[in-house]
Amino acid sequence: MTRTLALAALCAIGMLQPSPSQAQQATEIHLTYSKGQFQPNQVSAPADKPISFRVKNLDAKAMEFESTSLRVEKVVAAGTEGVINVRALKPGRYEFYDDFNDKARGALTVQ
Amino acid sequence: MRVARQSERRRAIALCAAACVSLLGCGAARADDASSWREIETKYIFGFTTGSGIGLEGEKEFTIDTIGRFGKRDGSYNATETKYEFEFTPTQFIQIEFGALGSTHNISGVTGLTDRDQVALAGAFAEFRYLAIERTSNNPLSVTLGVEPTVRRIDETSGEGVRNFEFETTVNADLELMKNRLFVGFNLLYEPEVTQPVIGETQREATFGGSAALSLRIVSNVVIGGEVWYLRHYDAANLTAFTGDAVMLGPSLFVQFTPKMFMTAAWNTQVWGREVGNTLPLNLAEFQRHRAKLKFAWEF
Repeated sequence: MTRTLALAALCAIGMLQPSPSQAQQATEIHLTYSKGQFQPNQVSAPADKPISFRVKNLDAKAMEFESTSLRVEKVVAAGTEGVINVRALKPGRYEFYDDFNDKARGALTVQ
Repeated sequence: MRVARQSERRRAIALCAAACVSLLGCGAARADDASSWREIETKYIFGFTTGSGIGLEGEKEFTIDTIGRFGKRDGSYNATETKYEFEFTPTQFIQIEFGALGSTHNISGVTGLTDRDQVALAGAFAEFRYLAIERTSNNPLSVTLGVEPTVRRIDETSGEGVRNFEFETTVNADLELMKNRLFVGFNLLYEPEVTQPVIGETQREATFGGSAALSLRIVSNVVIGGEVWYLRHYDAANLTAFTGDAVMLGPSLFVQFTPKMFMTAAWNTQVWGREVGNTLPLNLAEFQRHRAKLKFAWEF
């Protein structure tokens, strides 16, 4: 019984520890948002590593960085920088956009 | 009387067909746009079938979700249950929902049920969903596991005052068959519950079943589809005392009005069913003749 409890506790502690991918340093991707467009609008990152988008909104109104496949959204106020942290991703193409402006699109390629 | 009903039904079918054709025509005209459409959140595009989507980290949503159940073997039976729901996604893998339940019951002349006309605060619920398999551009399949404990003070079917505890567990899967356009969804459902009436013995029961749904995005903000459900009912939580089953079939509609507001609607009709110990067609003891769903959501 004691051994079972100890094993269960070890498993629980193991689950709380960051996984190797979480412990890895995030790949930073810098984007600017100006005149209703992302610059650059095509970016890439390595697979199985967390990603951190740093989005600088140079426009005079707020934008919302959003992506269905990345499963994130964040409002970035005018003249500020927003940081959006994304889990380690599998290879593929992930689209992002400004939810307030249908014309502002971009894509992340993970390989 | 029967002839009049048949002609009414034919007229309704013709109207639905005309609407579908015009919607499809509209979609065909814009078929070349599909690659430029934004990706769609699949959770609400299949009607009663729930898609695997869990929302976006940081997203919050308020929804009003009403399910109506209509028709028993005899008399008049109309009941609704509405979820007033707050939904949020704290991580990129987990979604949490909770809220209150309101119900209405309008029953008269139904064998085994007391006549009533009531509106009530029926209970509360919470839902936890975990994205187990995520869709990528290289993998069209996505799977989410969900549990939804619910407490009710009003019986869902009869409208009587009770203490009811339900624990719905689901597997919600969907597959993107054509990029941004065609999706197929599957649900597996196991819903044990225990009910303590004011008078009488505690009742234990369970519903077990599954569904398949096909949804076509005809324009960037409109999805139409159809779904079929097979449901089995037991008078025991461990699925040992089978009492009947039913097949429900019907269309679904999803409309995204603005990036932050959408609605979903669905209609299911029981097309086949059986009750243990009853030779009459359909299962109208545990299930209803028709059910409808109407949901409005606002994201913020």
